[in-house]
Amino acid sequence: MMERRGLFLSLSGLLLALVLPLHLFFGFSPASLPGLALSLVHFEVNSYEDAVLLFQRLPRSVIAVYAGSIAAASGFVLQSLVRNPLASPATLGVNSGAALFLVAAALLLDADAAVQGLAALAGAITGFLACLAVARFAGRRNDPRGLSLILSGALVSMLFTGMTNALLLSDPARRADFLSWVTGNINHVYIDRLAMFWWIGAAAVLVLLLLARPLTLILFGEDKAASAGVNVPLVSRAAITAAVLGTGSAVAVCGPIGFVGLVIPHIVRPFAGNNLVHALPASLLCGASACLLADLLAREAFQPFVINTGLVTDLVGGIVFIVIVKRFYLSAGSREAA
Amino acid sequence: MIKMTRATDGKRVLRLANGLQLGTGNLLAGLFLLLAALTLAAASTGLGLTHTGLSDLVRSLFGENLAGAEDFALWTVRLPRIILGFMVGWAVALSGAMLQSIAKNPLADPGLFGFSQGSMLMIMLLLVLMPAAPKSMVTLAALFGGLSVAALLLWLVGGERSSGLSIVLMGIAVETVLSSFGALLLLYLPTETSIALSEWLAGSLFQANWSIIAFFVPLFAASVVAAFLLGPAMAAYDLGTNMAMALGEPVRQSRPLVLLAAVVLNAAAVTAVGPLIFLGVLAPHIASFLSPAVARARLFLSGLMGGILVIAADALTRSTDGALPLPLGLALTLVGVPLFILTLRLQALRKLQSH
Repeated sequence: MMERRGLFLSLSGLLLALVLPLHLFFGFSPASLPGLALSLVHFEVNSYEDAVLLFQRLPRSVIAVYAGSIAAASGFVLQSLVRNPLASPATLGVNSGAALFLVAAALLLDADAAVQGLAALAGAITGFLACLAVARFAGRRNDPRGLSLILSGALVSMLFTGMTNALLLSDPARRADFLSWVTGNINHVYIDRLAMFWWIGAAAVLVLLLLARPLTLILFGEDKAASAGVNVPLVSRAAITAAVLGTGSAVAVCGPIGFVGLVIPHIVRPFAGNNLVHALPASLLCGASACLLADLLAREAFQPFVINTGLVTDLVGGIVFIVIVKRFYLSAGSREAA
Repeated sequence: MIKMTRATDGKRVLRLANGLQLGTGNLLAGLFLLLAALTLAAASTGLGLTHTGLSDLVRSLFGENLAGAEDFALWTVRLPRIILGFMVGWAVALSGAMLQSIAKNPLADPGLFGFSQGSMLMIMLLLVLMPAAPKSMVTLAALFGGLSVAALLLWLVGGERSSGLSIVLMGIAVETVLSSFGALLLLYLPTETSIALSEWLAGSLFQANWSIIAFFVPLFAASVVAAFLLGPAMAAYDLGTNMAMALGEPVRQSRPLVLLAAVVLNAAAVTAVGPLIFLGVLAPHIASFLSPAVARARLFLSGLMGGILVIAADALTRSTDGALPLPLGLALTLVGVPLFILTLRLQALRKLQSH
């Protein structure tokens, strides 16, 4: 088992090492590749291709890595703590909350990018809390697997997205600026926002990695964890806050890139197990690769059109969602259990 | 022949000669809601840019001629909006209440099942391919979209498992896929079409006129009959599929029927004003706070509450005097969500006191 985990971790690292250059260099003529690689190393612009690589491709890659890895890590932690295979930043109202608050700050308060980022963080927290509040209304009586949380998350997301849409309509002139962002758009112009917010995501990931061991103990049972000296409420809250804030910062950069956080944990778990000490690094690597691949698909599949990365992840994620429901809730043993 | 007795659970009921029972609590709540709807509607006729209102309306009903602007404001703008708003709210709330019984969950909503998205996507596709499509085609498209989603859901979940949360979860999944297509359309259509469709998505009674009302009235009447006929089945569904079958409810036949009714009601509402998110959850919840009813009474009370909420939301959109362009969906959120939270708090307090 130990070896398999190590193998999987190194394979995910290898995957990222393959996908990243693919994302960077796809589409350039093979002859220009050595020159491009050199310009990447020296960070010099000698030709048009160099400029495209350094000022368009590279920022896109960096944003995709940031958004993908944080979404996947947050998704894994949320799924573990909520004990629900459908939990993720996108399904628990975090993404839509961040998007709503950012748009509201930008359109109603004319806030600059830094305040917009703060608003996104507040929105991420608000979205999650709203989801919890609505789920509480549905009650826990006949709800053995915390499914009401997913329903309320979907409701809250629809509501927030509707409100975002309504806000955008109130200002048709600026609607065009945000419409693309609202659907999750990895774009090189957002690198300024990343430069502003990267430390939030980095801090969130650091906190999650530091808490990986006590979190894993909590997964084995809250009583057991408490008897092993873990402050269960504190660790759970800190981990959820880190996951939610990290996702909020990613939304502030490139808009809601949904469903990487839902899908990746399901790919990682069979190989890396539930132990977060191994699973979190694997999630980070795989999430980054997945987001890079989705972005590559969004960029190249419909040439000459470039579609939004968020749309690709939503589409793929929705289909995986169907598969998960089929597998976890409609398999033979779970009839009427839901 | 009306007798006042007590039902088996000790609640006061009115028993009609043909054996129908009517809980007095539900009756009172229904009357209260009806009164509230009428009061709100009357007050709402006085809201807007033109100075006119109920007194003018009454005078014009008695044959007096109004000045052009006031006549236009009352008869062409406000009344159609109020009447259509009530019927649409009724339809969505009824649809939500039915789905909640099927899913055995108070959070079920036509939007959550993906019906609204299905209808909306079909309407969008139609308007992109045929911008001048007549209203009847739009209605058919909405109906087709909603029904396809329902059929897809039943196929994905499998007929005998189409109860409980599994169908809602599948609905969310389908809704996600559909809304990413919707977002794709919104993003890449020409700006004007995109804004028009977004306005529709945000909900608007702007298109309300008498011909749409004439189209909606038969459906409204049919929904009253459907609520009356399907009501008892709802009570059985609330107990779970096995229990419902044990009680003699032909689940296999009646469940698709209920789904069909929910889809048709919602598709009509989407066609008329756009998807009203959360109304399907709000209205039944607030109604059941007023009077915890089951079966027919629950459906009727939910419908009334839905109508009231939309009338109130419409009044809010007009009371801003055009200073703030407030889409109906947003106004509905502003009206409904505080009420929702308030009733939740009061319910929690009630529970504390009863223990």
